[in-house]
Amino acid sequence: MAQPSSILHFSGHQYLRSRLVLSILSGKPVRIDKIRSEDKNPGLKDYEISLLRLLEKLTNGIEIEISVTGTAILLRPGVIMGGVLQHECPLSRSIGYFLEPVIMLAPFSKKPVNLTLKGITTDKHDLSADILRTVTLPHLQPFGISEGLELRIKRRGASPGGGGELQFLCPIIKQVKTLNFIDAGKIKRIRGVAHAVRVNPQFSTRMMEASRSLLNRYIPDIYIYSDVYKGDESGKSPGYAMTLLAETTTSAIHCSEAISQPGVAPEDIGIAAAQALLSEIEKGGCIDRRHQTMVLLMMVLGSEDVGRCLMSEPTSKTIQFLRDIKAFFGTSFKIVSADQSNLDCTQLLYSCYGTGYVNSNRTLA
Amino acid sequence: SSKSTSKRKNWIKLIYSSDLSPEEILWGKSKHSEVEIGEDDFLQVKRKHDVDDLEGLDASKDPLDISSLKKWEDEEMLDSIRHLFITGGEGPNVEP
Repeated sequence: MAQPSSILHFSGHQYLRSRLVLSILSGKPVRIDKIRSEDKNPGLKDYEISLLRLLEKLTNGIEIEISVTGTAILLRPGVIMGGVLQHECPLSRSIGYFLEPVIMLAPFSKKPVNLTLKGITTDKHDLSADILRTVTLPHLQPFGISEGLELRIKRRGASPGGGGELQFLCPIIKQVKTLNFIDAGKIKRIRGVAHAVRVNPQFSTRMMEASRSLLNRYIPDIYIYSDVYKGDESGKSPGYAMTLLAETTTSAIHCSEAISQPGVAPEDIGIAAAQALLSEIEKGGCIDRRHQTMVLLMMVLGSEDVGRCLMSEPTSKTIQFLRDIKAFFGTSFKIVSADQSNLDCTQLLYSCYGTGYVNSNRTLA
Repeated sequence: SSKSTSKRKNWIKLIYSSDLSPEEILWGKSKHSEVEIGEDDFLQVKRKHDVDDLEGLDASKDPLDISSLKKWEDEEMLDSIRHLFITGGEGPNVEP
């Protein structure tokens, strides 16, 4: 692989997805090497290859070169095309792994994205279908991405057998609105989804009641939806999970999720989800921690104005993402304590000057 | 070296002008210093793999840390976040 100086260079398999996204959005080619080069199974994993294939489907003119050993890739970005697409996700990762980068790219397509993904819909590593639908998508609303934005859970598929199916619909936008979200508000309601597939449907109710027993002390407005899928729609493996979200008066959302484990009672799953939600509420801010990177990306792409957002401390993933954003877009964030006079304040104000990103794919249409 | 005692981090400096890894920025180098015996190269390689295993998955959800959730079994702790709810500060409230 020849390597002109205009190509951005990274090493290692970590942060692969966000680097591919940043390359495609910025139009800058990227070379990533030393991908598990010291590992006894070196190179790209099957799910990473599958993700590259999905990105090829979503775009036009993209060039992806993979070295013979699979330990290096070179990506030359193309046009994000969108349209009606299908992808079969390997069972080594859940659908969330594949959908997260697509959600970051889809609003900037030439045609609205209508993507059907098959595989595992909930597992312990990736954002589940429920988090993606009820937390991820609403985080895009302040940026002007909302009308026609939808995730349909056609079939559920627990790990390891999968058999689930999601349909993602995303509108195209011309420009991203500048974010000004600095009031976290107070929590006004709690919502949730309890789902159980190929197990006793009572498990849903048991999780719900356990969660409520802890959360009722704070607020009466709690509604947890028991989502029942039967027959073919319930996938190939048994499993159940509890997803909870707290919504504030300013529409900030924080979420948690607990997933069935062998030998753990549904009540304990419900309690764990509720306690994890309290941990997220305690951390506070306007943005759910798992969505820091997506929000920061949209802030960088925002119109040429100062975008501001109140968030909790950055996760390790966010720290690297901020560094990578600077490499691809040249944008640095200002990050200061939200309350300079209070040393215990862990809330941070993130601000940056938007790059005024324009969806040029759309104007070509 | 022990974890920095200063409560307020200079995030801008740490993120944009330090060579520290994201994990070192968040949790300091103290965890590593326990393993560090002199300048042994072999140990350093091993440490790299440990970090890899933790972060290697490129996943967006941290696994639930059940031990860190235990704090919510304490009534005082539960009360400490009441003010974050619209119903907060109104004493023992709405039970079904």
